[in-house]
Amino acid sequence: MATQVDTSNTTPTGVAAPSYWRGVWDNHAPGYLFLLPWFIGFFGLTIGPILTSLYLSFTHFDLLTAPRWAGVENYVRMFTNDPKFAASMRVTFIFVIFSVPLKLAFALGVALLLNRGMRGLPIYRALFYLPSLLGASVAIAILWRQIFAGNGLVNQVLANFGIIGPSWISNPNTSLWTLIILAIWQFGSPMIIFLAGLRQIPQDMYEAASLDGAGKWRQFWKITLPMLTPVVFFNAIIQTIEAFKSFTPSFIISGGTGGPINSTLFYTLYLYNEAFGFFRMGYASALAWVLLIIVAAFTAFSFLTSKFWVHYDD
Amino acid sequence: MTLQIGRRQFLMGTSALAAAGALGIIPTFAQSAGLRQFFWGGQARADRTYGVNDLFKAAKGVDVDSSFLGWGDYWPKLATETAGGNAPDIVQMDYRYIVEYAKRGAIAPLDEYVGGALKLDGFDEDQLEGGKVDGKLYGISLGANSVAQLVNVTAFEEAGIELPNRDTTYDDIRAMGEAFLSKNIRGGMRVIADGSGSEPMLDNWLRQKGLALYTADGKLGFDADAAIEWFTMWNQMRADKICVDAETQALDTNGPLETTMVVLGKAAMMPSNSNQLVAFQSLMTDTATITNYPRIAPGVGGGHYRKPSMFFSIGGSSANKELAAEYLSFFINDLEAGKVLGVERGIPCIPAVRDAILPTLNEQDQIALNFVANLGDLLGPLPPPPPAAAGEIDISLLRTLSQEVAFGARSPEDAGQYFVNEAAAILARQA
Amino acid sequence: MTTEADRLTVVTTASPTRKRVISIVSHALLIIASILMLYPLLWLLAASFRPENEIFTSGISVLPSINWNLESYVRGWNGLRVSFGQLFLNSFIISGLSVIGNVLACSLAAYAFARLEFAGRRFWFAMMLMTLMLPYQVTLIPQYVLFLNLGWVNTFLPLVVPKFLAADAFFIFLMVQFFRGIPRELDEAARMDGAGPWRIYWKIILPLSTPVLATAAIFTFIWTWDDFFGPLIYLSDLRQYTVMLGLRTFVDSTGMSDYGGMFAMSVLALVPIFAFFLFFQRLLIEGIATTGMKR
Repeated sequence: MATQVDTSNTTPTGVAAPSYWRGVWDNHAPGYLFLLPWFIGFFGLTIGPILTSLYLSFTHFDLLTAPRWAGVENYVRMFTNDPKFAASMRVTFIFVIFSVPLKLAFALGVALLLNRGMRGLPIYRALFYLPSLLGASVAIAILWRQIFAGNGLVNQVLANFGIIGPSWISNPNTSLWTLIILAIWQFGSPMIIFLAGLRQIPQDMYEAASLDGAGKWRQFWKITLPMLTPVVFFNAIIQTIEAFKSFTPSFIISGGTGGPINSTLFYTLYLYNEAFGFFRMGYASALAWVLLIIVAAFTAFSFLTSKFWVHYDD
Repeated sequence: MTLQIGRRQFLMGTSALAAAGALGIIPTFAQSAGLRQFFWGGQARADRTYGVNDLFKAAKGVDVDSSFLGWGDYWPKLATETAGGNAPDIVQMDYRYIVEYAKRGAIAPLDEYVGGALKLDGFDEDQLEGGKVDGKLYGISLGANSVAQLVNVTAFEEAGIELPNRDTTYDDIRAMGEAFLSKNIRGGMRVIADGSGSEPMLDNWLRQKGLALYTADGKLGFDADAAIEWFTMWNQMRADKICVDAETQALDTNGPLETTMVVLGKAAMMPSNSNQLVAFQSLMTDTATITNYPRIAPGVGGGHYRKPSMFFSIGGSSANKELAAEYLSFFINDLEAGKVLGVERGIPCIPAVRDAILPTLNEQDQIALNFVANLGDLLGPLPPPPPAAAGEIDISLLRTLSQEVAFGARSPEDAGQYFVNEAAAILARQA
Repeated sequence: MTTEADRLTVVTTASPTRKRVISIVSHALLIIASILMLYPLLWLLAASFRPENEIFTSGISVLPSINWNLESYVRGWNGLRVSFGQLFLNSFIISGLSVIGNVLACSLAAYAFARLEFAGRRFWFAMMLMTLMLPYQVTLIPQYVLFLNLGWVNTFLPLVVPKFLAADAFFIFLMVQFFRGIPRELDEAARMDGAGPWRIYWKIILPLSTPVLATAAIFTFIWTWDDFFGPLIYLSDLRQYTVMLGLRTFVDSTGMSDYGGMFAMSVLALVPIFAFFLFFQRLLIEGIATTGMKR
């Protein structure tokens, strides 16, 4: 529904008549007016700090004195002389690749299960959301250690089967997985969003389909899934972005060290330590912008390919 | 059942919220006639500090607007406020960061107030020295502490082994470790935690050898041979099960007290600080005490030193420096204030205050006080303030390398060499 | 309004026993899963009743200690110079205002992106998404300086005002996806009747979006309630602290901490958000009764 410029309103000399501008105003103004709060926020509060951080990425900034210009030094160091950069990239990518699909799968699966309507539904729904409520508290860190340490719950259970497990949480080969499990365990948020999306699918579609003789699987594939794709798309994008930026789980469980041996060094944790631990905010800003470019590229790609599988009603 | 929120209720609710929120709109900190103070610590320290602030207010009529956070949150917030030019007047400072903050002018030199607003008569010399950067005084030590081994007395008794004492050497620890192994109490408790990643322990060991972590001009004070010896020694202890294994030690995330080896019940001793005895005891049902770090050989001392546990400094951009200096003076000199503070921040640095508070201390505090006061030949000279990169070398390099050796990802020889090379590079980069 | 029972079903041709087996299996799975979800809360609850020195020596047990007492709760509540009641009030104010701000402002912006045509729409949408991608750690200092210059430091304003200015791109994006699922025919019909964009927004889109608005309300409340970093940086006066920030002062890694008090207050802090969730989740299940006009 593109806006057609109505040229029938121009005067003989080609200058647009007042009613032309009226048309422009009528067509474009509502959008901008509705966006006004967002524009105020964007230009007033958001864009300034963002551009400042871009500027800072080209400086050495120790927080305590003014930034000094450094050109591309930070970026050069990042790509040529920083083993921790590579390590944290690897850790973060592994985290994203495993935690996001699994988390979404659980979220969707449980949402579908809960959407069927059953006794005790509200209770189950609240229960599955509970881990997300607990958030990233010190209590979770303590508990996670209790469960995944050498003599923790998991190993005690495994011992019954004669398996001697490592100390999952403090062994560099397995520690990242405890964080992945933590992320998946908190699948409540995408689950709620899936539930809301399922709720928005009109019931009569299902009724009409079953009247036509379609079985449950067919209804799932032909009605539920396609109608749900906008929400699936949303959750996939958002969870991926959030996973790339993930900070708190590693912060509380590794005590901010990213250990053992950098095995849980999430990218933003590394960035945070550079900024506030070692007074290298300029370098941290450069790290942040590299992350932004990666995430933006991924998001753009997702949006471009979304037209092949996401069904909107408009 | 749909939820009905009528428009009226909605508006009423919103305006009530907004009105309540208005309370949060007016800044509530004290007028500029007062002082702003920021420190790290827990509730216990806060109570004591507020007590002193009340005394100060009664004595001088000045309001001290004080806030505090835990160690981990304190530094980002302080750095943020400083970056914004909004640093507090009175800032609690640590040995690790004082050089960084002083060199950048984020804290103010105090020399001009000494003798005037800031009275330092009788102040321990070495504690005074500890607060100096480039010859100028930047921080007043709030208490001395010393490194110490935290010891689980009950575990030793259970194993029937004699407690370590002032003469205990690393070889003695070995013997104790073997005894612990054979007694096998509490699911395989080892005698000592893995100290290979503990910077204070390395420092202490080097000093006994006549070396140092860092020299006065900010270079590394030891070479690859020493580093290799250090990692090899611990590697051997790990292999012989004298100290805890790699996975167990990795549970200690260098911060929360509840992740440490003694609290977790994995070891009977571990490196710590003298002023943390009270904190650890409160988390354990067993009895705890402190003792010195082991000697490298009988009769060799000089590893310990009395470190300023923390300082108070004055914010570089503070508009009330003179008043803040008065506050500092009150804090460390006033006897009543000293009684309120106790030894929570460390042993007071003025003898008169020490004497005044001695009768008021509880058992653990007395143990800590006596320990620091009676180090004897274990005491060595105060080292120079660490270079700014020391924090990075400790956290990024030493800890990681010790874990790599522990998990077998690197040999001790390799680790020692890498440590020295990389540390030199980090130091050079910071300079 | 359709009820839960009406939503129940989709006609199947499975036999009754098969249905029962499926039902039993799913319930069993759900129960096991529920235990997994509930376990940490039970542990937290048990720990809050333990004496301090038993907390870390009791391992994974969720059974109460024989020495159980309420000391942690008393100590926690009164532990700070300001009673926790004040902190709860602060948290309520901040979270409550945030909910209102977010729901209003983000729905306005989302409506513009989803339903209105205007020059630069795609560009601004991309900009909006971009604000989600930069880690907050590097915009922290510039933002702090900005708020400092505005004189908003030490107030609630930096925490609440951005919500009224649709700073949470997450919710804008969420609502856009949902708004796009509402049939355009309804808009058209309203336009035929002479309704302008505002009326369509207020009378059609919003009422049909209760699930997503409820979701936004729930998430906003919970996330602002749980957020400690914003309050950490912008609030200095203990009387303004939020619950989560207050909790963080209980634990200090260099000295004495009050774990018992922290656990006790953590349990109490869960109550409001859990209540909020239960209250609003009914809006989630209420769905919309469209007349099902689908091409």
